Amino acid sequence: MADYEERRSLLGDDDEGSFTSRQAARGPGRPMPAICDPSHLLHRVVVLLFMCFLGFGSYFCYDNPAALQTQVLQDLNLNTAKFMQLYAWYSWPNVVLCFFGGFLLDRVFGIRLGTIIFSLFVCVGQVIFATGALVNHFWLMEVGRFVFGIGGESLAVAQNTYAVNWFKGKELNLVFGLQLSMARLGSTVNMNIMGWVYSEVALAVGTGHTALGVSLMIAAVTCVFSLICALVLGFLDKRAERILHKEQGKTGEVIKLTDVKDFPFTLWLIFIICVGYYVAIFPFIGLGQVFFIEKFNFSAAEARAVNSIVYIISAPASPVLGFMVDKTGRNVVWVIIAVVTTLAAHMMLAFTFWNPWIAMSLLGVSYSLLACALWPMVAFVVPEHQLGTAYGFMQSIQNLGLALIAMAAGAILDTRGYLVLEVFFCACICIALMAVVMLYFVDYLRGGDLNQSAAARAKLQKEATSDAEIKRRPSRLTEGEFARLAPMSAFGLRNRYLSRLGAQLPDHCSTHLSSLAHRSVLK
Amino acid sequence: MATAMSCGVSSVFLLFYVFTSCLGLFSGGETFKRQVSVELNPGLTVTPPGGDLLHVRAVGDNDTLHFLFCSQGAPTLLLVHTNSSSSTVKVDWPLFLARNTSGSLRVEPESSILYSTAVVFSRLLEYDDVNDTADPTSDPFPPYELQNFTWSRLNLSGPVALLCGAASNFTNGSLCLQLSVFQSEGRGELWPRLIHTANSSQMGVWLDGMLPRANRSRFLLELQAVSGAYPLSRVEVHRSIDDEYTPSIFKVSQWVSSVNGSSDVLGFVQWKPVAYRQSNPALEDATPCRHSDPRPQSSEKTAASSGLIRAFYSEPDTFALNVSFGLAGEPFYNSTQFLSWTVLVGVGSPPVDSFSPLVVAIMAVGLGTPVVFLLLGGLWVCIRKRAADSTTAYEPIN
Repeated sequence: MADYEERRSLLGDDDEGSFTSRQAARGPGRPMPAICDPSHLLHRVVVLLFMCFLGFGSYFCYDNPAALQTQVLQDLNLNTAKFMQLYAWYSWPNVVLCFFGGFLLDRVFGIRLGTIIFSLFVCVGQVIFATGALVNHFWLMEVGRFVFGIGGESLAVAQNTYAVNWFKGKELNLVFGLQLSMARLGSTVNMNIMGWVYSEVALAVGTGHTALGVSLMIAAVTCVFSLICALVLGFLDKRAERILHKEQGKTGEVIKLTDVKDFPFTLWLIFIICVGYYVAIFPFIGLGQVFFIEKFNFSAAEARAVNSIVYIISAPASPVLGFMVDKTGRNVVWVIIAVVTTLAAHMMLAFTFWNPWIAMSLLGVSYSLLACALWPMVAFVVPEHQLGTAYGFMQSIQNLGLALIAMAAGAILDTRGYLVLEVFFCACICIALMAVVMLYFVDYLRGGDLNQSAAARAKLQKEATSDAEIKRRPSRLTEGEFARLAPMSAFGLRNRYLSRLGAQLPDHCSTHLSSLAHRSVLK
Repeated sequence: MATAMSCGVSSVFLLFYVFTSCLGLFSGGETFKRQVSVELNPGLTVTPPGGDLLHVRAVGDNDTLHFLFCSQGAPTLLLVHTNSSSSTVKVDWPLFLARNTSGSLRVEPESSILYSTAVVFSRLLEYDDVNDTADPTSDPFPPYELQNFTWSRLNLSGPVALLCGAASNFTNGSLCLQLSVFQSEGRGELWPRLIHTANSSQMGVWLDGMLPRANRSRFLLELQAVSGAYPLSRVEVHRSIDDEYTPSIFKVSQWVSSVNGSSDVLGFVQWKPVAYRQSNPALEDATPCRHSDPRPQSSEKTAASSGLIRAFYSEPDTFALNVSFGLAGEPFYNSTQFLSWTVLVGVGSPPVDSFSPLVVAIMAVGLGTPVVFLLLGGLWVCIRKRAADSTTAYEPIN
């Protein structure tokens, strides 16, 4: 019930009616056990569990090529550039689709049906991919990766949206972190188990493309598992809607693709950081195995292990770091730290023969830190009703980057070798570094709250709350007197200034509307 | 904002400009050059029976390098370093062709000789790798003696000489050696793109289209290094982080002379441990190489197999090693029926790879720009703050 209180105070006037009706609806009904009560923490934990496993299959299968790099190269007789096409083909559909992914979820399918559809795509894609290997047609494998990609990334958007929907205001960073952990767990398990699966299969059917196909088919089981999670999650969400009468997904809020032009400059900087950073991580991991074998004389198993250390570290580190970022705020500084550390790790790999365990561990920590600090920042700079679009767009650009860089990375490796490839990755990180330094100053000068400490944010939230309450009260205070009562936050000040000018403010900026409440609730 | 950005951008360009011009100075500043002249069968007007003798004279400021390449017997490359820019090679052709006395080929004046070393490509070994273990001792075939090959005439084009030969029992295909001598510093066109100086020559060796004696054959090449003094006695394997010119190869092997109690290197044979299975190689055609430890050899045998060694050295000191191509799990020779390997032979210290201007420039710009952003941004914020402070300060009413 505590949330009700909170919601009531935050949502202001609009919510008054729905609150009473909700009370009435639930009124005398039998008390539910905590685990079944959608408003209870325990139930949310259960939901979180399914939410986390929702992404498991897609993350498990995403890195199948990396886990079986030597086998894929050998069995199908490919060069590195062609091998990296498998990653590029995954990313291509998402360049367009992710842009609409959030949009489709909000407007066309709804989050529940959308999630199920995307899970289905992941499943089918992986099966086609495996079939391609089975019959030794590389183009069919590419098709499989394409279909897999259609589902994979949109599924991540759905996962994010579910998280925001169920957990906003309640340690959202932690939930993001936990989801990421599960995703990384999927990748880790894949990295370390697929080699073994292949060798077992090879014992049965002999090496070659058949063994590869069968191994990939076995990997497809995880996708089926994720599909089941999507179904359960859809059911639970529907049920929660029925019981809580909570508003479904994003209905009533206008989502426009033209929102893109209203994205603030800071959001574009976040996009650049995202692209610059992730293109230096995922394609590198895709190519990592052979790199460790050739540069550091690792055995295949050791190379796979060191390649997956990024994910292994990321799994426990994400919630911890997420909590830390939650408690301290100062997201931009955390992002700067993460980017600089990653740069250092890549330079170590490029310019030294130091044991790659060091560099890869650093990479793992910084990678988790970045994910925890960067992704929630989107929620600070755009209003909630654009959040789906913003996240979708962010991933869309990320995928464009990944597709292009994956192909470039393969070609660079084939012609110029690993040093230049590593230097190229360093350059990408440097671009992210430039963007984050710029973001720091832009945010600083605009008095934005991206880099505020958690304490300052809590204060701001309080102000916004009291602000809303004061407004609701039939107040005789003039604006001047009101201003003297509480120091205004930069955000409130800006909005007040604009409204006094008579400028038409978008809904989400009026202090008494729900969006602002969401915004400040979101820490 | 816009000014800061344009500032940032222009400073990036400035930085880049400064760097590239620095690099230009570095690379263009001090390249050592030699005048290279090529002469086939010096002092002879007719074609000698049994194989050509190529003499390449590379004259520096106050020294001369004589490269002698001969296919009388096993193909041999002899390098003689003299401290005079007017030293010459004298060949007593009847004695030279008789191949039984030393001294039939001399570099004059004798006192000007600083160092000499020779590399004899003596044998090609083949073994049947039935179990794919790449163990050369497993199932060897009788080796091909290169001294018994039928060698073509030397095919000259500028300072590049091509020699191809086949054993009598080759049904088709051939073993070719290509010698390149350089005027100045540079780098080969094709992988492994070894860096070379004017003090070195490059020998490409390839085995093209020959039918192996088994489906799963792998090959080894025996090299013999001959010196009068300070023979090439040890192989150093250096790790290098720079694989820009030889992708995925992070090692370089150097077979060097060791002077007692000194780290000075008088002569070297340098290679990267990689061979390629295509004449126009891509990364997936690379196949790793290994080498055995150099072992002292009977000099008499070497002298008997190579006309040039017999003619130049009276008391040669010989070490030999095998280079084996392919590791366990790598495709066999039969997959492409092509194998090429490149080696650098020279005097002085072996050349060392350094980062290319591209790598240095990218890193400089990549690291420099964020720092510039940070400085400019900090400065800008300070100015803005000061300006803001001064405007909001209370001012006297009158």
